[in-house]
Amino acid sequence: MKIVGSSRPIHDAKAKVTGSVRYAGDFDLPGMLYAAVIFSQIPHGYVTKVNVDRAMEVGGVVEILHCFNTTDRPYNRFRTMKGQKTLEQDRIFQRHVRYVGDRVGCVLAETPQAAREAAALVEVTYDPLPFATTVSEVLEGKIDCIHPEGAVFGAVELAFGKEPEMRPDTVETVTETFLPRLTHMTMETHCCVASWDRAMEQLTVWSPNQSVYGIRTVLAELFDLPYEKVRVVKTTMGGSFGAKQEWVLEPVTAAAALRTGRPVKLVYNRAECMVSTISRGPIHAKFVTKITPQGKIQSMGADVILDSGAYVGNACDYIQALASKFFRCYSYPFAHYTGRAVCTNTPMSGAYRGWSAPEMYTMMEHNLNMAARRLHMDPLELRLRNVALPGEVDRKTGLSLGEIRIRECLLLGREKFFWEKRKKENRAFNAGQTRFRRGIAVGCAGHVNGYYPRFPDYAGVSMRVNESGGIQVLATLHDHGCGTVTAMKMIVSEVLDLPLEKIQISEGDTAVTPHDVGCFASRSTYVIGRALFDCSEKLRDELLEACGRWKNTDSSELWVKDGEIRFSDGRAVSYGDVAVWMLREEQKELWVNHQSQSQSNPGVTGAHFAWVEVDTCTGMVKLLDYLAVHDIGQAINREMCVAQIQGAVAMGSGAALSEHMDTNPKNGKTTATMKDYHVRNTPDFLNVRVELIEDGGTQGPFGAKSIGEACYVPVAAAVAGAVNDALDSDLSSFPLTPDAIVDLMIKREQHEV
Amino acid sequence: MKFEFTVNGKNVSLEVPPDRRLLDILREDLGLTGTKEGCGEGECGACTVLLDRRAVHSCLTVAAQLPGRAVVTIEGLSDCGEMSDLQRAFVEETAIQCGYCTTGMVMSARALLYENPNPTEEEIRIALAGNICRCSGYTQIIRAVKRAAAEERGEAERD
Repeated sequence: MKIVGSSRPIHDAKAKVTGSVRYAGDFDLPGMLYAAVIFSQIPHGYVTKVNVDRAMEVGGVVEILHCFNTTDRPYNRFRTMKGQKTLEQDRIFQRHVRYVGDRVGCVLAETPQAAREAAALVEVTYDPLPFATTVSEVLEGKIDCIHPEGAVFGAVELAFGKEPEMRPDTVETVTETFLPRLTHMTMETHCCVASWDRAMEQLTVWSPNQSVYGIRTVLAELFDLPYEKVRVVKTTMGGSFGAKQEWVLEPVTAAAALRTGRPVKLVYNRAECMVSTISRGPIHAKFVTKITPQGKIQSMGADVILDSGAYVGNACDYIQALASKFFRCYSYPFAHYTGRAVCTNTPMSGAYRGWSAPEMYTMMEHNLNMAARRLHMDPLELRLRNVALPGEVDRKTGLSLGEIRIRECLLLGREKFFWEKRKKENRAFNAGQTRFRRGIAVGCAGHVNGYYPRFPDYAGVSMRVNESGGIQVLATLHDHGCGTVTAMKMIVSEVLDLPLEKIQISEGDTAVTPHDVGCFASRSTYVIGRALFDCSEKLRDELLEACGRWKNTDSSELWVKDGEIRFSDGRAVSYGDVAVWMLREEQKELWVNHQSQSQSNPGVTGAHFAWVEVDTCTGMVKLLDYLAVHDIGQAINREMCVAQIQGAVAMGSGAALSEHMDTNPKNGKTTATMKDYHVRNTPDFLNVRVELIEDGGTQGPFGAKSIGEACYVPVAAAVAGAVNDALDSDLSSFPLTPDAIVDLMIKREQHEV
Repeated sequence: MKFEFTVNGKNVSLEVPPDRRLLDILREDLGLTGTKEGCGEGECGACTVLLDRRAVHSCLTVAAQLPGRAVVTIEGLSDCGEMSDLQRAFVEETAIQCGYCTTGMVMSARALLYENPNPTEEEIRIALAGNICRCSGYTQIIRAVKRAAAEERGEAERD
């Protein structure tokens, strides 16, 4: 292949590095107003009065929207499609506020400073209710009044496969895992610009988001507008990781534009972004495996409680999604799952990179490490005895896992990470002194490539050839900043043998690009990329046929090469010349349309290897080496895949060691600054090694599978596994902070004394 | 109050409150939106600019600190749209993903290379410690800085 598998910069790299690219927060429209949101200062209660008198006196304030003068129609912030079953609890502004940070209103002013100054002067009077910041308090019935339906949602009990008869020597291992609230910490905070053209009755919304059509369906129905009168445009996105998959700012900004008839910009600051958008909800889970003495897994079971925060949002789906991950990596006869989502007076939970798979594999891999100890078996060997092999079936979906390569990932990693050698070296190192402890671990994971078969998954694209031979593609892409547009260009480029620069691809715009559920669920490359691959082949055939008609030649004797159509006698015609001939002679544009439905979802897996050194005096953990081996099918844009994997390791090692948001049980306030939420920076980190296994064989373009989420799934498991190996501990309450490690050491010392 | 200083080599004279943040001056008063706000508390580095050739957080720098001083933003690094060697290295080393940290990262790297034209990897890591990238694991960024340093010294990049 000429271009697929090579490394290319992201499509707008030059605009980004020179500062000329415009994110939504950089927009400046004529007559634009600035919005600042008024947030609830109490964790639970009813707003009884909103006094705006003092706020309206601030110079430049134009209007104040709040819960008593704005529609209180409920919606669901995570809806992506009309007809989708969701619980509708979100409102633009709430009269019944359910956490510190809930939206009560917003000020619109001529400058951002005036809007914020006035927002602080709005006097909100509350009638407080009892509040609960922990699941256990809620389950004791403390806030049954939080929603009319109660506080517990989406309870499920599921079983997959047939439970085998257990022999008496089967080893049962029970582990408990606690995962804290995480924030995505996208560098770009949430922002949105909306305008309402009264004369044309046209609402236009610009935001960095993962589904323009999802936003359209929510806004159209919230404001009783015909769908064609709502135009949603995806803007350059400064990172998402799921954060911009739910519609938090868009309804507010749209309401403000509709009220004033002027463009409105709303940009959340970091604290607002951390607390008042969405986060990964805390999870408390018990995990059970039953394994034969020979190391064959007989069953897995999980009981999961998700703290969904103040509103359900996606939690009923999320709690089910955990169960979809049981059989994406290992093959065994039976799994049992119980789960429920519990509302608390804390920030809203929602989508997060991996959409439940990181949580599932963090608890599963920890359990397997503990089981390996009980079985006196090498943890890597235990995994090798249970990984799913090509053609095996995901027992949850009944679908083939196709060309799954997790076994190969493990074998390659064992060699490249010097598994046996380092295990021995660790033993010698740890025996040689007492302060530092070294450990090694592997974490495996499996993920998905789109929704199929849980939900219908499809994509439509259209392509046309212009007069200069360029290809203009309409596809509903939402590049998060990970290079989706470039990867798609590379696919088209490869099929049409055309330089990348000759291809232009749109991003999501409901007025222009085709219907699409959005860029999430690891579906972009596998599902939309497939549609583009097929459409490119169709376009190539159309080009050859048109050229054949023009030159009176059988199209089967023509082929494309270097951006031209070649003839067997050595002649060549450019794509642009064919397009012009068609326009002039046939009065037709050289244009093709293609829609496709996904019909497969192969196993996409990875094995990550971590080697750490723990300072038992300070509790600090140092990564000595890290290797990520991925079963990627085919890397489309190689270095971009590598960079994403390394970024996932930075993010996941943060989840393992330092990242957590906590809500104060006394006042309901939640961690709201970067200085209190520790993400990896350069000195903290190392050059992560990456190996890709590219055996193709999938229905994705050129045999590709997903990567952006899959690479985050095993990280926390691998890092925590290495810490537990170093300390011979069973720490599984995340993150494994220096404090937690020092506490363990103190307890051990006290026990020894 | 009136403040006089230079931005990207041009004289600027502004009537603003003394506590107005440099970040807001750049973005709102001068329309230089290449400088980004990521946290407003000096933790993320997205707003990094040069003040007399040293990297500063523009969110923590106020108008009163500016008289007589030289501010350089990302817009001042390229020449009529032509990228500098450092910027080109970021593009070609795949060091850019979502791009929101990029301009601040480039400015911190610029300050480092003014002070130390031949930094070690550790020195680069320390110089960029205040710039958070959430997309990558920093490997490509460090490679870009090393390459630009070598090119500016007139050497081919060694790795």
